[in-house]
Amino acid sequence: MAGNSGGPWGGGGGSDGGDNRGDDDRDRGPRRPGEGQQIPEIDELVRKGQEQLRVLMGGRGGNRGGGEGGGDGPQIGRGGIGVAVLAVIGLWLYASVYSVQPEEQSVELFLGEFSSVNDPGLNFAPWPLVTAEVLEVTTNRTESIGNSRSGGSDTGLMLTTDANIVDIDFEVVWNISNARLYLFNLRDPEATVRAVSEAAMREVIAASQLAPILNRDRALIADTVEELIQTTLDSYESGINVVRLNLDRADPPNEVIDAFRDVQAAEQERDQLQRQADAYANRVLAGARGEAAQVLEEAEGYRALVVNQASGEASRFLAVLDQYLLAPEVTRRRLYLETMERVLGGMDTMILDTGDDTGAGGVVPYLPLNELLSRRNN
Amino acid sequence: MRRITILFIGLVVALVLLLSSVFVVDERQRALVLQFGQIRQVIEEPGLNFKIPFIQEVVYYDDRILSLDTATIEVTPADDRRLVVDAFARYRIVDAEQFRLAVGVGGLREAERLLEDILNPQIRAVLGSDGVTSDAILSSERAGLMERITEQARLRALPLGLDVLDVRLKQTELPQQNLSATFSRMRAEREREATDERARGEEAAQRVRALADRTVVELVSDANREAEITRGEADAERNRIFAEAFNIDRDFFQFYRSMAAYEAAFGGANSSMVLSPDSEFFEFFADPMGNAGLAAPVAE
Repeated sequence: MAGNSGGPWGGGGGSDGGDNRGDDDRDRGPRRPGEGQQIPEIDELVRKGQEQLRVLMGGRGGNRGGGEGGGDGPQIGRGGIGVAVLAVIGLWLYASVYSVQPEEQSVELFLGEFSSVNDPGLNFAPWPLVTAEVLEVTTNRTESIGNSRSGGSDTGLMLTTDANIVDIDFEVVWNISNARLYLFNLRDPEATVRAVSEAAMREVIAASQLAPILNRDRALIADTVEELIQTTLDSYESGINVVRLNLDRADPPNEVIDAFRDVQAAEQERDQLQRQADAYANRVLAGARGEAAQVLEEAEGYRALVVNQASGEASRFLAVLDQYLLAPEVTRRRLYLETMERVLGGMDTMILDTGDDTGAGGVVPYLPLNELLSRRNN
Repeated sequence: MRRITILFIGLVVALVLLLSSVFVVDERQRALVLQFGQIRQVIEEPGLNFKIPFIQEVVYYDDRILSLDTATIEVTPADDRRLVVDAFARYRIVDAEQFRLAVGVGGLREAERLLEDILNPQIRAVLGSDGVTSDAILSSERAGLMERITEQARLRALPLGLDVLDVRLKQTELPQQNLSATFSRMRAEREREATDERARGEEAAQRVRALADRTVVELVSDANREAEITRGEADAERNRIFAEAFNIDRDFFQFYRSMAAYEAAFGGANSSMVLSPDSEFFEFFADPMGNAGLAAPVAE
């Protein structure tokens, strides 16, 4: 609050005409530094001098009334002094008080030397002793790396350990974890984050094979790189915190991406061929099972047919036999005759008498077989 | 009024003297106080400082970590595969006096030039030294190589008043003229993979089809075998039934079956038959009393 007391004092000195005061100042000025360089004293001097200068320059208009009536102290002069003092205090307060937003922190320097880190709210940094720097601390900042290919720099192309090239785009999101370190340790924080990120990504990619980068190791790579970036930034005591790393793209370069797509197409084709074969197998096997069932059922049918037929015939025979046994001779004769009746009744019969039993007749029968057959065919 | 004017001039002079004898060194800075080119004072701590007005001047240097990105250079590792390499360095001015002596009035720009002249040969030396192949650069040994470069560069930069904190490789890429060859190789590898995939697909499909066909044959023939067995059993059963029935009276069976066979064989209208009146059937044809007796047909 030394400044506060200096304000009124300086104002008074200016409007009083101040012969004595002025001499006093000039006496004091050279003497003090010679005796011992006590910084607060000097500060005071500097401040006083500055305040005086300001009042002299600003208070020129009021000098006529104030300077002449300084000794008497009339009403108007007092009012002018009061207004001037208030204006000076107001200006000084305006220069000294500042507010810090929720996402910000301020770092205060007392004569260039770090004094404190302040949280959001109204803060007071008495000018010109204390200067304050306000930083957006919790705000996430983003550095995109690798997707500037259109701009001519092919930073996205990286060489893998198996001498393949992969095209990587990623973003590093960061904020400030320590405002003091951030402010005092790095001259160019954005560029440092960029360079460290790119170096870390290239280091990790250079130690990886192409195939895992493209698919299953993406998350692992993002984690490893994020850790590496954080470690490196910590080793600089940068006060930077890496919030996350977004691995936007990890693809083969455009020049060869068609070949990679073709591999995917081939994989699908392979799958398709296998499925088609499976479909064929299912169809054919089902057909075969049906056929086998049919054959088996047919055989069972045959079994039933044959057995039933046989049983039927046997039963018929047994039934006839039963009756036959009751009257064998007659039944036999009857069966014979009935059968012959049916057999001979349906066919062309020809009776040829070969003579008597002695066989002396001697007629050789001529049988016109051809004629018989042709007649039958008619 | 004269007094006031004199006083005013006196004040201004005092103020100018005061302001030009006081200077503030920021937390982010170091300063040298020079007196006609002679270094009188090195200020490393922040705060308020004094100098003799007009005679001494102050030169400020940045106390923060500074960055340098090197231009891309080509290195040839031990296996003669050329690589395009660039790096960045993080360094700090640790000794402002020595820095001024080494760099002169050129300041940071000159310092960067000097530092890059140190870095590039070191990168070349480490990456081109014995036993360091491009495979080593493209592997996890990279971190170790970067440390070696950092160490070498730090030793050589100390006389400049600079402390090299970290040197990191960024690009380690193939030269432009090798890119197309690499792309062709990558394409060829993918083509091989694609062909392999397709061939394997066809192989698997053929395998599945063949197995299916084989299973079909197996299933059907197995069913046929079963069917034949069933039919055989059926025939056996038939024979058993017949034998069982017919064995009761063989004689009658022969007669009965013969009758059935005659009927079946000649039952159609298409047969012709020449008969002798002597046959059994005509027993009563000529002789109503019969001449052969009733026993005759049985003799068959």
